[in-house]
Amino acid sequence: MRLPILFFRLYLLALFAFVFAPIVTSTVFSFNSDRFPTMPLGHFTTQWYQTAFARPEVWEAFRNSMTVALSAATLSTALGFATAYTDFRFGFRFKSAYLALALLPPTIPLVIMGLAMLAWLGQLGLSGSITGIIIAHTVMAAPFAMAICRMRLQQMDASLEAAAWNLGASPWRAMRVVVVPFCLPAIISAFCLTAAVSFDEFIVAWFVSGLNRTVPVMILEILQGNVDPQINAIGTVVFITSITLVVAAQLLLLGRTAR
Amino acid sequence: MARIPSIYPHVWRAPLLIWQGLFFVGPLILMVAMSFWLVRNYRMEPDFVLANWERMLTRDYFWSAYQVTFLRASLAAALASLFAFPASYALAFKVSATARRWAIFFLIVPFFTSYLVRVYAWQVLLAESGPVNAVIGFAGMGPFTMLNSGFGAMVGYLTLVMPLVVILQTFSLAAIDRNLIEAAWNLGASPRRTLVRVIVPAARVGLILGAVFAFILSFGDFVSPFYLGGSKPPTLSILIIDTTKSGQQWPRAAVVAVMMILTLFTVAFAAVGAAYRRKA
Amino acid sequence: MSMSHSQPTRRNLLATAAGAALTVPMINRAWAQEPTDINILAWYGHAEPDIVAEFEAQNNVRFVPKYYAGGDNMLALIAQSPPGTYDIILSDAEFVQQLNAAGYVEELDASLFPFDDFWPEYQNFPGHWTGGRLWSVMVRFGLLGVSYNTDTLSREEASSYNAYWNPKVAGKVGHFDWHLPSLGQISLLNGNRDPSPFDIDENAWKAVQERTLSLKPQVGGYFDYGGTFSSLKNGEMLAMCGIGDWITGVLQKDGAPVASVIPEEGGIQWTESYSIGKGSARQEVANKFIQYMLSPGGQVRSIQMAAYPGPSPTKSGWKAIQDANPAEAERSGLIEGHDQSPRKLLAEKRLFLRDIPRQQTLEDWNDFWSEYKTA
Repeated sequence: MRLPILFFRLYLLALFAFVFAPIVTSTVFSFNSDRFPTMPLGHFTTQWYQTAFARPEVWEAFRNSMTVALSAATLSTALGFATAYTDFRFGFRFKSAYLALALLPPTIPLVIMGLAMLAWLGQLGLSGSITGIIIAHTVMAAPFAMAICRMRLQQMDASLEAAAWNLGASPWRAMRVVVVPFCLPAIISAFCLTAAVSFDEFIVAWFVSGLNRTVPVMILEILQGNVDPQINAIGTVVFITSITLVVAAQLLLLGRTAR
Repeated sequence: MARIPSIYPHVWRAPLLIWQGLFFVGPLILMVAMSFWLVRNYRMEPDFVLANWERMLTRDYFWSAYQVTFLRASLAAALASLFAFPASYALAFKVSATARRWAIFFLIVPFFTSYLVRVYAWQVLLAESGPVNAVIGFAGMGPFTMLNSGFGAMVGYLTLVMPLVVILQTFSLAAIDRNLIEAAWNLGASPRRTLVRVIVPAARVGLILGAVFAFILSFGDFVSPFYLGGSKPPTLSILIIDTTKSGQQWPRAAVVAVMMILTLFTVAFAAVGAAYRRKA
Repeated sequence: MSMSHSQPTRRNLLATAAGAALTVPMINRAWAQEPTDINILAWYGHAEPDIVAEFEAQNNVRFVPKYYAGGDNMLALIAQSPPGTYDIILSDAEFVQQLNAAGYVEELDASLFPFDDFWPEYQNFPGHWTGGRLWSVMVRFGLLGVSYNTDTLSREEASSYNAYWNPKVAGKVGHFDWHLPSLGQISLLNGNRDPSPFDIDENAWKAVQERTLSLKPQVGGYFDYGGTFSSLKNGEMLAMCGIGDWITGVLQKDGAPVASVIPEEGGIQWTESYSIGKGSARQEVANKFIQYMLSPGGQVRSIQMAAYPGPSPTKSGWKAIQDANPAEAERSGLIEGHDQSPRKLLAEKRLFLRDIPRQQTLEDWNDFWSEYKTA
């Protein structure tokens, strides 16, 4: 493998170009004047942003998305942390089945999740509600939160908690003063990442949402509808939101591990 | 541990069991049950009939969709692994640890960033009048039809899975003991032989996991085969959507879904088994 | 939360910046009472601002749309939701019977609607009345024929459904992804005109299937509404089966070289009608909206709807569009005695109402469509 370093540089460059080309394209076309995206470009305009954000239903969709993302992130982070701590601290029978249950959701195709969720939530009388989307997204995002918290716990000296117990602290107190503070960056990071997962998810939300559209569901409907360049404008705002969340999630983790 | 009150572990263990039991296992079981239900006048009625299974599994279109989906997902897994490998190799061995960390950082970002909008952007990029053909046109070729084809769908799959595959490969490559590689050099192994005999086996877990995740994600994806592949031919996910759209045939869609899940579990377990099998 | 609905200042600022006609209803809304939501189930575009903004502002309501694609899809969506979910249902006319049979719609009061103003052929639309009781009111229609890229095919070449088999469009024939319009066109090509391309016996149905399958090598993809649009616009598809002016009309306005023609074998008419959802709590305002849409002003909006144009069934609608936009009236033949007038086509038996299959079940047709797509 004595290929020149230049080859690898170029290869990496090509790979990143492939991965980021769609993001850049969408941003560029969101400022392009043409109704349908073709080459060469028209002139610079912000009209798609203006049209999109002059529509109350776009704001409504953003509000829905925010509600869902924040709620789902809170729930799935709590769930993920509890699960990660269980895995870290306790041994019990059927633990591998327990972990399988915790980590399986992302392997189920979204279309199937959507179908099953809608049928189930319909039985519970929750279909077509914001609550339904929150429930579905929590199921899907919890494994990511669990993974992040578990990685952080791995770095914790296991005897730290035991030492607190030996000094007379109750497990609850030890959790509060030792474990949670140690895991705090991971918890915040998990919160950001699960918020991003929820903020971007559209297939399950599309099945479950009924009349309450979230932003990505709205994008899907524009794509199925009149393919307006507003897609790029709304999409760019979505990109910025989720990129911010994911970057924040990672900086929190990196910052601590580097120390 | 003796002083731990007995309720303490349960408080941490129970939430997942309750939540995922209620909102993950529950829906999936209902879906399996639903595959035996009946539809009358656009309304589902609980029942226990095999008609839906019989109907779907005897339809040629189901099996051709199954075949297409399986082959495409396999191809996506193979291509993603292949294209990702040189990049992962470079990230693991040819750049500094800091650079590697930043690269992974920048790969995680798109993985969690609106897939739907990215696929739409590809629709723009790959159009006959689009930028990619414009560039090819400068070279005096084309324009090529890239949308509404297997090629288009494949670009979409790779968009979805590429970052993840690179990340998984890089982790396992970077974890290889450098001494192992140097030993191979010192024993006079050629670069190719070192790669095939030392590096690939040592990184087996990451390579297999990368491929499996690529397979799982592509197998279930709906967006790429629809918006870049032009539903030509439809994959199983498209078939599910079509089936639910037409006349409330959810039980039949459930049949397709159960078949997909069975396939995914089989592939995943086989692959994980292969990944963690002790070296012969 | 900066994106919250309840912060009117920023929204108004943006709205003003947009400088569009939209601004007026928006500002009104900011200090009016919270508007009443009206849930509408419709094809894409029916609750977009160009149609509903004025009505929303006048009545302090807000339309919340759920868009569907195809009648089967519509029925499935209604079946999934509790009664009373949808106040207004815009349905394809051939599905009104099924809506009624399933008990999904309220009876309407015929005296509320201007049936005298309808052209005679549209007054008693099949299935909308049962024994003098009214269930649905037709609001617009349109014609399906051969849609094609004018740079590739001449109007003559496109004037038969055989155009789909033309080597010039090999691999570039798209389908609108719904079985009824596409199979109806192939049925017409097979000469099933009497009584209708949708009322065919088993042998004819077999022949339609074979003819359809022979088109497969020409086919470039199956598209939803959005995909149909963009693939015709960017030249990915050069001919499109199962659509008509409702797509190409919009693209023409945008300067795309596309057109639709009613071929010699005959065209198919789609028809859209309003019903009121069973158990709707807002029937009064729903009735008011239907009246609004049937008024000359509403018809002008409908004829020029941004998502897809749809000619008017009323006399006053024709007059209004002739005054408001003579070019559009000319283009879609909404002028008495016009050569391409839809009434003339209907009278000459060059136009057939889209229908559900009469001798097979919808499921048979749908099943074959799945088979065709994977073939």
